[in-house]
Amino acid sequence: MIRRHWSSHILLPAEMAARELVRRGTALGLLTLLPLAFYASSRGSSDYAPVLGGIAMAFSVSGAAIFCALTSRQLDSRLVLAGYRPRELLLGRLLLLEALGFLVALVFAGVIELGSSPADPLELIGGVFLVTACAVPFGLAVGALVPNELESVLILIGVVGVELTLQTTNIVDRFMPWWGAQRLLEQAGDGRGATLMPIIVCVAYACGLFGLAVVAVNRRYATLR
Amino acid sequence: MATSARTETIPPRVGTPVLEARGICHRFAKRVILEDVTLLVAPGERVALTGENGAGKSTLMRICARLLTPQAGTLRIEGRVGYCPQIPGLHDLLTADEHLALFSPALGLTRQEGVRRGRELLAEFGFPVGERTQVRHLSGGSQQKLNLALALLGGASVLLLDEPYQGFDHGSYDNFWDHVASWSAQGIAVVVVTHMLQDLDLVDRVVELPANA
Repeated sequence: MIRRHWSSHILLPAEMAARELVRRGTALGLLTLLPLAFYASSRGSSDYAPVLGGIAMAFSVSGAAIFCALTSRQLDSRLVLAGYRPRELLLGRLLLLEALGFLVALVFAGVIELGSSPADPLELIGGVFLVTACAVPFGLAVGALVPNELESVLILIGVVGVELTLQTTNIVDRFMPWWGAQRLLEQAGDGRGATLMPIIVCVAYACGLFGLAVVAVNRRYATLR
Repeated sequence: MATSARTETIPPRVGTPVLEARGICHRFAKRVILEDVTLLVAPGERVALTGENGAGKSTLMRICARLLTPQAGTLRIEGRVGYCPQIPGLHDLLTADEHLALFSPALGLTRQEGVRRGRELLAEFGFPVGERTQVRHLSGGSQQKLNLALALLGGASVLLLDEPYQGFDHGSYDNFWDHVASWSAQGIAVVVVTHMLQDLDLVDRVVELPANA
């Protein structure tokens, strides 16, 4: 009987994923630059720039999660055959990517704070952190459910792209993954509006997406368990 | 002597099979890959799995490793399976030691123990042990040696090796078959997918999958 310990069964896969990401210097740079580019390109002409940049963070963070899920798929089957539980591998990646995403969010929040001086900086920080909190499970769920890279990336572009074009007052936007984060980023500008509901909705979405990813990988390796 | 897997009636060499796949059927879309295939392998037996391209050798190996659920048939395996796929699927940016470390806790080994045992296995295959070379910079043969070592790490009662020596030089290839004999002597059942006719003298039994099964 193999003794399971969370530090090795969850943190070791996370550590190896971190080592891989760190060795992709260019990808890490782009991960940070992409939302900044969205923000910088719209800052001069629109008050909506922090929202655009914030939601654009979903592109890079979800993209990293999708990539992580898809490139690991072949070896994951052998790791599960060896004795890992699929959810342990997934949880390890979630922890690593959330940590990385929060780091990017912190940099991004600092840049917006300097560039746009929002009325409520806390809502700004909350908004970008919520983007990351939801982007990682979104990417892991897409990576677990969709078989190929192209389809996965198209889904990501579709969902984030639609969300970028919608106002939070639009009824459709209320059902999108980053509605809560978008709402907070909008409210950061004037400092008015409720904060609890957007946070609850976004966290619930993140938990739901991660649950979906767990169900998908459990189904894939059902014969091994 | 080669036997057809579809009609295999020859029992394994000795004792109760450690690998018992009976009546396996599998198809991808409308294409039948495996139809009523039975494969029994005894402890310590060396079996070569042969057949034309597309006969379903790799699919049968994946089914036996429980990585793929057959549409019909039963599978029984005693003990742990070590599976070496045809395509390694390793992480390009990790080193050999990091791969060994990653597999260790799942196999009930500490990180240090797993790396040490893995290095011993790799050294036996002539792998440049201890170098901090990322997998993407390793030769195809060296990647395959790491692939094989990961299948062996932690011990196994059944080894499923899908053309494990691709990219091996002549010395490594001979060395591989010496190891197969050694694993067999330890009671480990070894199934090797092969296209090499000269390999067939090195096994106890040859099972040929029929074309378009």
